[in-house]
Amino acid sequence: MLNIQTRQEGNSSVVTIQGKVNFEVTAQLRDVIRDTVTTHLPKLLVINLEGVNFIDSSGLGLLVAARNSVDKNNGKLHLCGLPPQVKKTFDQTNLTNYFSIFATEQDALRGA
Amino acid sequence: MTKGVVLVVDDEVQIRDILGFYLKRAGYQVLLAENGRQALEVMVKVQPDLILSDLRMPELAGDEFCRIVKGKPETRDIYFVLVSAMDGSSSKIGGLNLGADDMITKPFHAQEVMAKVESAFRIIAMQNEIKRQNLELTRFQDRMTAELSLAARLQMGLLPSIPGQAAGIRYTHRYLPAEGIGGDIYSILPALDGGAAVLIADVSGHGVTAALVSAMVKTFFEAQVRLGGGPLAWAHAMNRDLTRSTLSEQFATAFLAHLDPATATLHYVVAGHDAPLYIAQGARGGLRRPGLLPGKGFMLGIDENLPFTEQSCPFELGDRMILFTDGLVEVEREDRTLLGHDGLLRVCSELPQDAERAADHIVETVRQFNDPMAFEDDVTLVVMDRT
Repeated sequence: MLNIQTRQEGNSSVVTIQGKVNFEVTAQLRDVIRDTVTTHLPKLLVINLEGVNFIDSSGLGLLVAARNSVDKNNGKLHLCGLPPQVKKTFDQTNLTNYFSIFATEQDALRGA
Repeated sequence: MTKGVVLVVDDEVQIRDILGFYLKRAGYQVLLAENGRQALEVMVKVQPDLILSDLRMPELAGDEFCRIVKGKPETRDIYFVLVSAMDGSSSKIGGLNLGADDMITKPFHAQEVMAKVESAFRIIAMQNEIKRQNLELTRFQDRMTAELSLAARLQMGLLPSIPGQAAGIRYTHRYLPAEGIGGDIYSILPALDGGAAVLIADVSGHGVTAALVSAMVKTFFEAQVRLGGGPLAWAHAMNRDLTRSTLSEQFATAFLAHLDPATATLHYVVAGHDAPLYIAQGARGGLRRPGLLPGKGFMLGIDENLPFTEQSCPFELGDRMILFTDGLVEVEREDRTLLGHDGLLRVCSELPQDAERAADHIVETVRQFNDPMAFEDDVTLVVMDRT
């Protein structure tokens, strides 16, 4: 099951995802991210993937689309907390070099 | 035009007369019968929408009559109202247990019966509407299923026919789409310079959309191969074409390669795809030491300005390569483990010499490993031998 939580930290939005991100849940996740971006127009969108144990190509696609939509609003997307399995998928697809990736949520929020 | 057909079944003539009178006055067509047996005879000729039946009657009593009506597929949807004296033995619950849709207790007022009949016909109208919508849905579903199976056949036609051969490569495949139709595609064709061009790709998502994009990927690839050039040029062009022509979340992972038979070298680009397994002298069968080709890169279709890198490896006579999509190795078992690349390397360390048997061996071994879950994603496996 997928668990998604969102919260605001000043000008930043934090989306925390837990569970398996695959084709079946991307619609749900897409709605949450779109609502967050359109409602709060965050300068910084942080997506915390700490609790994600699996991500497939549709999940990766969703993250890329999220970056594009944040870019359009002159915002930034930071990812954080990638577990080893997810990190492997990012490495394989070179997405480690496409996204700004941070170890912890604090780092991601500071942008350090 | 009558409001509907009502069959009144009662052994007392006065009751038949009173109910018949009121029903006709209210605009219903009325059929009359003295008992269950007579009622069944009437129903052979005309099927009523509603039956008002007494419980106690000679020859065939109301409860038995109700059971017969509700037991036959062709009559069980007729709205059945059981009319009975309130004497304990024929409680409302008892009557409804027989399958009757409603009960009226004797003695009754004609107006009460009429009110029940009117409400019963409202329910009948609703039921008919639901039946009509159901039928429409079933027809729609049948049409979609037929279209999908046609699309699946068409998609199968997009795959190379096997066993196939192109400029020093002999190949076969196993293709197992998750939903009849899927987002995996591969292509092997002769290149302009006498070599062979190879593509395997996996489009994000499932079903019809993924299948459509996979057909585009194949078309883009073959168009590029016909222009000449090599995997790096193909990858850049395909990335541009795919970025421009698909929606924001549609991507493809791909492995693109070109074999130069003269130098026995494979030039390739890994675009977010699982790199193939390379088995030196694997086409001769027996115990071997397979390895994963090194390389990684972006998926196709994210951003047209992303860079790709080309690498090369030897591909000598007698060597074998196993190309696959991630659905083969990424099935989560009940114990939450996956076969993964290490598992696939183990499976491929000893394969039959014959490519067809090797392909079957891999699919079967992986299927057994995943048991009871076979595959949840599209799976494509290509065994490619250097000859």
